[in-house]
Amino acid sequence: MRRLGLPLGRVPDEALLAGMATGDPEIALAFVRRFQRMVFGIAIAVVDDPQLAEDIAQQTFERAWRHAQVYDTRRGSVRTWLGTIAHNLAVDAVRARRATPVSPEDLDALLGVVNRTPEQWALADEAAARMRAAVAELPREQARAVVMAGIYGMTARQISEFEGIPLGTAKTRIRTAMGKLRTVLGPERADHD
Amino acid sequence: MTDRDCERLRAVAEELALGILPGHERAEAIAHMDRCPACREHVERLTLVGDGLLALLPGSEPPAGFETRVTDVLGLNRSARRWQPRAVVSVTAAAVIALGFGFGGWAVRTAVEGPAAPPSRSAGATGSEHGLLEASLLAPDHHPVGRIFAYPGSPGWVYMSVDLGHDGPGSGSRGGDGYPGAGKVSCRLERTDGTSLRVGTFSLDDSGRGHWGAPARVAPDTVSGATLLAADGSVLATAHFDVPRNQ
Repeated sequence: MRRLGLPLGRVPDEALLAGMATGDPEIALAFVRRFQRMVFGIAIAVVDDPQLAEDIAQQTFERAWRHAQVYDTRRGSVRTWLGTIAHNLAVDAVRARRATPVSPEDLDALLGVVNRTPEQWALADEAAARMRAAVAELPREQARAVVMAGIYGMTARQISEFEGIPLGTAKTRIRTAMGKLRTVLGPERADHD
Repeated sequence: MTDRDCERLRAVAEELALGILPGHERAEAIAHMDRCPACREHVERLTLVGDGLLALLPGSEPPAGFETRVTDVLGLNRSARRWQPRAVVSVTAAAVIALGFGFGGWAVRTAVEGPAAPPSRSAGATGSEHGLLEASLLAPDHHPVGRIFAYPGSPGWVYMSVDLGHDGPGSGSRGGDGYPGAGKVSCRLERTDGTSLRVGTFSLDDSGRGHWGAPARVAPDTVSGATLLAADGSVLATAHFDVPRNQ
């Protein structure tokens, strides 16, 4: 039990969000600093354009601030909530700008990043390590399909056209991959904190 | 709702969870989920897979100055705030009102209990990043059951996390009497002069867990701690802020 000088870095995510929503500049700054790397990372991975990614990251924090009232701790962590906002904005931006959200080269590069297992990543988050391993074990075509759908927001039809496969095959690949990845979550609700 | 409806939903559940299902199919699926808790739970679980995929993306530092640009856009830059107090106050008021409905359905209710005493305002306590109070919530048997944070800025706020552990590991150590059942609980700030201020009411789940936050005036010179109360007024836990006095 103590007071004064408590580093804002120790304040729970939900408390920082609550503090930012009250309009406190110091808390807002701490909130942005805590999550900007994650938010910008998602944006740049999807849009592959630093300027656009920065715009998306900025919009993400604006939305978080304006919609803090709909955040519900029972439906996931602040980190997951922010990540979803950033991802939705990034996917919308790509859909508005390009017919094909990803080039074959970028897809291969992202698959390499997703499958890579640097030691510090594995140690940082056990759930993420399990998910990463599960993605790495997927057949290549299923991994491509689930990354195109889950990261780039490509529809099954877009995936079928991109891969030159029937629509039903694209749907099956997504569904099969998701089924395999679902098993690594275990019986408990997964979170990323 | 029929089994066939559920089968149709399950056929597109993965695409729905990943947000890639085209409009009309999406509308049909959502309409079905509104009526079918089992399918809703199925899709929610698949959504976690999507969240898990995003968590695999590596973080990346944005360009220098990003954080300042964000706080500027939000009108929360410290220097800008000094020049535009009215604008910020109105934005803050809206945020505070909105916040009142945000954290799991709690309701903010402020009621002064005990001897009447005007709230003490300390000019030195407002807007300071150094004034955050933190304490453990201790059950009557001194077992930690949560934490409370109280921020004496302007506006101030209170946040607490609670885990009474009705059915969790170690709950047996608290004996068969246990705690009152899940339901409404209240947070009351305690003052050094013996008065108290009830700052909010919120709900715990069946396991006795919950989070809650609310705008609240927190005067660091006069606040001494907090009490978590059951609906019947009994004390579930207390917290004591170790505050240096007469600074």
